[in-house]
Amino acid sequence: MTMLSVRGLSISFGGVQALNDVSFDVEAGEIIGIIGPNGAGKTTLLNTISGLTRASAGKVSLDGAPISGLRPPRIASLGLGRTFQMSQLFPGMTVLENVMSGLHRKMRAGAFAAAFRTPSMREEEQATAEKAWEALRYVGMERFAHHPGTALSFGQQRVIEIARTLIGEPKLVLLDEPAVGLSVNRVAELDRLLRRIRDEKGVTLIMIEHVVRLVMGVCDRVLVLNYGVKIAEGKPEEVVADPQVIEAYLGSEFDAKRLAS
Amino acid sequence: MMMFGYLLASGITTGALYALVALGITVVYKATRSVNFAHGDLFMIGGFIAYTFHVMWGLPYVVALLLAVAAGFAIGAVVERVAFRPLRDQGLVSLLLAAIGLSFILKGAARAVWGGKGDFIPFPPIATPSPISIGGILVVPQQLVVLAGAIAVMAIFAGFFKLTKLGRMMQATADNAKAAKLVGIPVNRVYVYTMAIGTAIAGSAAVLMAPITLLYPDIGFVLFIKSFAAAVLGGLTSIPGAVAGGFLIGLIETMSGGYISTQVQDVSSYIVIMLVLVFMPQGLFGGRALRRV
Amino acid sequence: MRLLLGSRPFLILMFSALAIVPVVANPYILYVCNLGMLYVILAVGLNILVGYAGQFALANAAMFGIGAYGAGLLQVKLGAPYFLAAPGGAVLAMLIGTVIVFPALRLSGIYLGLSTLAFAMFSQWVLLHWNSVTFGGGGFPAPHLDLSPLPIGPDTGIYYLSWLVTMALVAFAWSLVRSRIGRAFVAVRDGEIAAQSLGIDLLRYKALAFAISGFYAGAAGALYAPLLGYVAPEGFDLFQMIIQKSMIVVGGMGSVLGSVLGAAVMVFLLELLRAFKSTQEIVFGSILIVFVMFRPRGLVTLLQRLPGWDEPLSSFDPRRLFAPAASAPATPPLAATRELADGGRR
Repeated sequence: MTMLSVRGLSISFGGVQALNDVSFDVEAGEIIGIIGPNGAGKTTLLNTISGLTRASAGKVSLDGAPISGLRPPRIASLGLGRTFQMSQLFPGMTVLENVMSGLHRKMRAGAFAAAFRTPSMREEEQATAEKAWEALRYVGMERFAHHPGTALSFGQQRVIEIARTLIGEPKLVLLDEPAVGLSVNRVAELDRLLRRIRDEKGVTLIMIEHVVRLVMGVCDRVLVLNYGVKIAEGKPEEVVADPQVIEAYLGSEFDAKRLAS
Repeated sequence: MMMFGYLLASGITTGALYALVALGITVVYKATRSVNFAHGDLFMIGGFIAYTFHVMWGLPYVVALLLAVAAGFAIGAVVERVAFRPLRDQGLVSLLLAAIGLSFILKGAARAVWGGKGDFIPFPPIATPSPISIGGILVVPQQLVVLAGAIAVMAIFAGFFKLTKLGRMMQATADNAKAAKLVGIPVNRVYVYTMAIGTAIAGSAAVLMAPITLLYPDIGFVLFIKSFAAAVLGGLTSIPGAVAGGFLIGLIETMSGGYISTQVQDVSSYIVIMLVLVFMPQGLFGGRALRRV
Repeated sequence: MRLLLGSRPFLILMFSALAIVPVVANPYILYVCNLGMLYVILAVGLNILVGYAGQFALANAAMFGIGAYGAGLLQVKLGAPYFLAAPGGAVLAMLIGTVIVFPALRLSGIYLGLSTLAFAMFSQWVLLHWNSVTFGGGGFPAPHLDLSPLPIGPDTGIYYLSWLVTMALVAFAWSLVRSRIGRAFVAVRDGEIAAQSLGIDLLRYKALAFAISGFYAGAAGALYAPLLGYVAPEGFDLFQMIIQKSMIVVGGMGSVLGSVLGAAVMVFLLELLRAFKSTQEIVFGSILIVFVMFRPRGLVTLLQRLPGWDEPLSSFDPRRLFAPAASAPATPPLAATRELADGGRR
C-alpha cells in the first residue's frame, strides 16, 4: 500500500530551482533514505511535503489523501510527523511537557476548560502525562523527563523529538538528519530504535541522512537528489555504486568504492 | 493655489527635518539591524544642549550648532559602548527594551534640568523672523535655513559614506557584519561610530529645527514616530529611501493638515507605519524584503 | 510535601492579606492597593501575550483605555448599569485586541512592537479627537460604584469587586498556563515551525493570546473608571505602556507569579515617586535597562532558587526572542516537580 505519493514536485526560490520535477512513491512500512550533496534540496523536499513551503507544481498524497497546499497543522492531523535538523525542542518546557505537546492536536480541552480546571481537563492532562512517560520510556529517555528542553546533548534532544512525534501515532515520519553528530554507539542505538519504530509501531520513515553507516544499515531504499533533481533511486547497495551518484559526490567524504567493498 | 504653495513649502521644510532624523534611524538600522527607539530623545537632548549654549550661555548660533553636534557624537558613542554593546548579543528585543529605558531616562533628565511637561522652550531664529516671498509664496527664512542645513548634512553624509575609509567600513558592516569581521574591520568600533554619527545628525537636526518648532522634552518620541514612519516608508535599508520618505511624510502631514483638518496631521504617520509594515514591509525603496523577524 | 513552596501558596497568602486592607487601612492605602490589583490584572494579561506566547505587542495600554472608555461611555451615554457596562468594556477591548493578531501573523519582534505601538497611538488619537463620542481631551466623569441596597461605600465596594475579579483572573491565568493551552503558547513562542508540525494552529493561538490580554486589560480598565471616578486619555499613553512592560520584565516574563511581583514593585515605586514625573521617568527607564542587562528573566528567578519551589519552567528569557544565534542559551536545570507527572511514574 502506498503511504506517500509524490508526483512532479517543483519549487523555486528567487530564481534557483530548488526542486525539479521530483517523483517517487513510498510503501507503507518502508524506511527510505534521502541522500545528496549539500544544497541538493533535501530539506526543501521535506518542507514541501510537510506543508511548510508551497510547491509551484506537483502533487503529494499521504495514504491516499491529497495534501498539497494544505497547511502544516492539517497535514499533521492526517498522520504526518516530522523532526528537524536543528533541534526544535521547546526550551521553555521540560522534556516531559515537550513530549506532551506532541499530543496537542488529539487533546480536546479548550481555554475555558483549562481556565476552570474541569475534571475532564484534569483527567486528560493526567492521561497525556502518562502517555508521555511511556513514549519517553520507549526511547529510553525517561530519566530526563523533568529537565528543561534544551539542557541535554543534541543526540538526546533528537531522540526526544522522535518521541514527541511518535506520541501522536503518525503514519509517516520525516526525519531530517537524525544522526548528525552522533558517536558510533549512538548511531547503532538509533539504528535499532528506527527498526523498532517500523516493526513494532508500523510507522513508515523517510530520513535525510549523511551518515553512511545508518543509511546502508537501516534503509530499504535510497533516493538521491542533486540540484533538486532525483538522480537515482533503489536499494542502498545499487545506488551507492551508481556512477551518476558517485560523480555527484565527487570530492566529498562519501566514498562509494569504500562502501561497496 | 496660494495655500497649496504654502503647504508645499511647509511640507518640504518639515519633511527635510524628518528626512534628517530618518536618516539617522536608517543608518543605525543598516549597521546594527536594530531600531534605536531613543533616537528622537537623543535629538531632543541635542536641541536642549544647543539651547544651553546659545540661549543660556550666549554663544553664537553656529558655535552652538557645532557644539551640539559634537555633544551628540559623544553621547551616541557613550550610549553604544555602555548600554547597547553588552546587549547586542542578546537579541533585538533586549536592545529595544534598553532603548526604551534610555528614552525615558533622557526625557526625565531633560524635564528635570530644563523644564516641566508644559514648558515649551522658545529658541530664537537665526535669520530674521519676517517672511520673504519666493515665487509668490511666503516663506519664513528659518525654513530656508532648515532646508539648506538639512541638504548640507545629507550631502556631507553621502560623501562621507562613499569617500572616506570609515564610511566604507560602515557600509561593509551594514551589509554583512560577519564578513566584515572576517576581513578585519573592527566591527564594535564601527558600531560606536555609527551610533555617534547617527546621534550627531540628530543633534544637528534639533538645532536647525528648534527655532521653528518649540523645544520640549516629549518632542523626542513624537519626532521618532514620525521619522520612523518616514524611514519605514522609504524602506529601512535604503538611505535615499529615508530621505524620500521624510519628504513624503512631511508633505502628507501638511497636506492632510491643510486640506482635511489639523487634527489629522499627527495620525497620518501612525497610519503610514501600520499600513507599510503590514502590507509593504520593504517600503518604497527597500531592496531586500524586510525580514519578518 | 514538595508543594509547600510554590506560586500557589504565595498567591493565596497575598490575596488573604489584601482582603483585610479595607478594614485596617486609610483611604490612600486602600486606593493604592486597589490600583495595585488592577496592575496585577494588566501585568498577568500582558505576560500571557508577551511572556508566554512571545508576541511582543505594545498596545496593551490602549486596550486598558478602551476598557475604561467602553465601560464609562456605556454607562454615561447609554445609561447601562455597571454590571453590564463593565463586561461590555472588557469585551470591546478583547475584540479590538484580537484584530491586532493579523499583523502579528506577518511581523514579529521589534516590527510587531512598533506597529502595535502605532496602533496604540492611533487609538489614543481617536480617544482624544472623537469629541462627539469620547468627550475629547478633557475626558469625562465616570460614576463611582453604587452598590445601593448593600451597606458598602463606593470605595470599599470597588475594592472588593476588584479583589474578586483579580483573584478570578489570576486563578484562570494560573490554570491556563498549566494546561495544553499554556504549552501551545510556549510552543508558538519557542518554535513556530515545530509547533505547526505538531498540529498547533498559529493563528488560533496567537489570536487567543491577543484576545485574553485584551480582555484582561479591558477588565482592568472597566474597574479603573469607577475607581478614579474619571476617564481621560492621559492614563493610557506610552508611559503607561512602558510601566506595564517594566512590570513583566522586572517580575519575570513567562510567569504568572512574576507578573504579580512586578506589578507590586512597580505600583509601589509609582506611588513613591508620584510627585515627580521626571524622576518617575528616570527611575523607570533605569530599572528597565538594569533589569534587561542584568536580570532579564526577572525577580521570579530569585524565588525559583528556593529549594523545592514548584513552578513550571516556562519562564522566558527575553534574550531568546530573536537572538542572533540559532540555538537558545541553556537554561539552568531546575528541580521542578509536578504531582501530575509523578503520577505517571508509578
